[in-house]
Amino acid sequence: MQQAEIHKFLIQYFKSNDCEIVESHPGYFVVQLTIAQDKLLMNRPFYWHYLEKTGGEPNPGKLTFITEPDLAPDDIKGEFIHFGSPRLHQIFETTKQLSSYIRLFEDCTNKAQQNPLYPWIGLNVKVSFQCNRKKDIFLSLGLNLISGKIHEAFHDRVLSLSVTPKIPDYTYTLSPLIMPKSGISRLDSHIRTSLSFEDHSWAEEAFTRWQNDLELLENFYQDQEKGESYETEKEALREQYEPRISIKVINGGLFYLSETAI
Amino acid sequence: MKIRVEFDSGWEEGLLNKIQSDGPWANWELYKLAVEVEKHLVVPEFEGLQAPKHLPQLKPLPHQLEAAREVVENMHGKAILGDEVGLGKTIEAGLILKEYMIRGLVKKVLILVPASLVSQWAYELNSKFHIPAVAQRKSYVWEAYDVVISSIDTAKKQPHRDIIFQQAYDLIIVDEAHKLKNNKTKNYEFVQSLKKKFCLLLTATPIQNRVDEIFHLVSLLKPGHLGNASLFAEKFKGKKRDLNEDGRLKELVNKVMIRNRRADTGIEWTKRHVETVLIEFTEQERALYDAVSAFRPYANESVGSAFSTLTLQREACSSRESVFYTLKKMLQKTEDPDAFYETKLKPIYALIDSIEQNSKAEKALELIKKIDDKVIIFTEYRATQMYLQWFLKTNGISSVPFRGGFKRGKKDWMKDLFEKQFQVLIATEAGGEGINLQFCHHLINFDLPWNPMRLEQRIGRVHRLGQEHDVMIYNFATRNTVEEHILKLLYDKIQLFERVVGELDDILTRLDIGKIEDYLIDVVGHSKTEGEMKIKMENLSSMISFAQDIKKGEMNAASGNS
Repeated sequence: MQQAEIHKFLIQYFKSNDCEIVESHPGYFVVQLTIAQDKLLMNRPFYWHYLEKTGGEPNPGKLTFITEPDLAPDDIKGEFIHFGSPRLHQIFETTKQLSSYIRLFEDCTNKAQQNPLYPWIGLNVKVSFQCNRKKDIFLSLGLNLISGKIHEAFHDRVLSLSVTPKIPDYTYTLSPLIMPKSGISRLDSHIRTSLSFEDHSWAEEAFTRWQNDLELLENFYQDQEKGESYETEKEALREQYEPRISIKVINGGLFYLSETAI
Repeated sequence: MKIRVEFDSGWEEGLLNKIQSDGPWANWELYKLAVEVEKHLVVPEFEGLQAPKHLPQLKPLPHQLEAAREVVENMHGKAILGDEVGLGKTIEAGLILKEYMIRGLVKKVLILVPASLVSQWAYELNSKFHIPAVAQRKSYVWEAYDVVISSIDTAKKQPHRDIIFQQAYDLIIVDEAHKLKNNKTKNYEFVQSLKKKFCLLLTATPIQNRVDEIFHLVSLLKPGHLGNASLFAEKFKGKKRDLNEDGRLKELVNKVMIRNRRADTGIEWTKRHVETVLIEFTEQERALYDAVSAFRPYANESVGSAFSTLTLQREACSSRESVFYTLKKMLQKTEDPDAFYETKLKPIYALIDSIEQNSKAEKALELIKKIDDKVIIFTEYRATQMYLQWFLKTNGISSVPFRGGFKRGKKDWMKDLFEKQFQVLIATEAGGEGINLQFCHHLINFDLPWNPMRLEQRIGRVHRLGQEHDVMIYNFATRNTVEEHILKLLYDKIQLFERVVGELDDILTRLDIGKIEDYLIDVVGHSKTEGEMKIKMENLSSMISFAQDIKKGEMNAASGNS
């Protein structure tokens, strides 16, 4: 993420969470937190607990973020935010935490007649391939809960549509034939199947390394008693090398889309 | 092959709940942001380092980045980081730790370092790497925090020990790991029994004189990598062999060890200037030195008497206070203190009393005034340290003491006082390790340690990355004493002080003389005449030069020059 992207991201984040941008300059800005955001970001539970008990006047924090130190005046006191800064990662976490589940309706342009909307379940997932090393891929999948059709790059498709959180006038939703629960498991199997076609030499190599180190370990304990430390070492090797794949949902939800949307 | 695949089922439950209670649903803008965030956080390649992207303010050197990459990609996260002193092993360890944390391979981390370094590690990881590491102060930290820094001595004790064994650590880092070379110690046993999924052992002196030490160190990291104990013992029985001579062994060790040398890094180092300062005893000081040289505390010339005479001689070169302190301890140990005092000590005490000045201290004072900048004084003796502090004070110079035995907070405080307020820091040997004082570039060796590696560690406190000035080293030695012999015949000859770090351990291993310190005690203590001692010392230094020449020859041959 470049500094300009970070700047844009932060502004969007605070605006989406109803926080007022008090001052906005190139390279830095000042934001007035809402009570909810203060609780999420400022890490002062005792203050809020005390306030709620005593019924005092809440005073949520105001933060200054600097994204381009060269552009900000020298006397500005604020937090310099870059891709590695803990504050940014805290906001990343909060973003994900606040947006796990969504329900959206397509806002059809054709207002002349009643439009049916088809139910889809959409998932954005991170698939991680892990042994002693790790890499991830991002996947976005959608499943039509009537036809069972699966669409890849689902998120990008939805981005191109006009959507709204409330069901628009002149539209009605069709009832799903596939329940959300089994929809998720269909997507899970779809991912597993597509994974089985991937190149898994990384896992085979890790497995070989694992076996080699196990052999060395056996040899080391050849003429001494295999006590607790042997078991510990063995378990450590498993944790170090064992290849595994994890599928983690970032967010997702229900999408009601017109017949022509996908 | 079949690979275990896990699908996180927690999300599904949440969705069903939301459907049942009809929301509340996320805001579309935030939802889009979360996807964008995740796309940035995804690491699409096994290879390469992500950490530098997260650390724009850190400017790692090329050899540090290369070391981190090598450990993660080719050593699978288990390595000895054995760079020479001052090349930034901590930075390498920090990069590796950060990389694993970013990739989500490591969460729980235990960092074991000497007590004096605990706060420094915490500070560096937090400020340079944005890693929320905490220094262990209370017992609850083990569970409450993911990254904890502690001394081994604390960690191995109850109740900590049991709590630590209940934690599932992903990465264990041990600093100054050469202290784990003996597999019979409690510390070794403790580190061995920890579960090490990933493990970094940091040490500046991985190759000491004995190959079995490297065997124990490697076995901590990767048991079996160098075979098992009995096979190894058989192969190397009785041989204090140079690691370099055994190609196979060297190759194996290099698979788990990173070892950068100053010369390879291409960094411009500031120079070392060495000045020998010879000091003349006063008449009274000379009398004391001669008296302790002739001193035979025990009737039978039993083992160890050469050693104690030598100790007293060296102390007499340092301060009368240190002589007095040692004699006092001797007195406490004797069976008949009164008689011992009357016959043996009384005359020496009288000589101690007659001394009016410490010639070395006078010289130090003169030098400190002339330098008019920060100065570190190293001495081997606590009594000298205390005396010097008092002596400087009476001459209007404030100084801070530094000892290995200080508590962590006190060490930090002393370092801080020295940096900000006081001109002089007086450190004993034990204080030599683990403080970084690169803001100072004058060092006085008030007396000399006999183990050249310890001397190197002293100098390493100031001559390290971040030192902007040439480093001035002043070696004090009293004329016509054992000190002068050591300095002239050994240190000067092998140009120890100008030597770059790391060469020395190579050369010493090559010599196969076991511990150089023991050898020196033998030479100085058991030589019957001055002449014999000189000859033996000459022999030693020519052996060292010879080993050095061979090394040079090999290096030239290797690089194709002749």
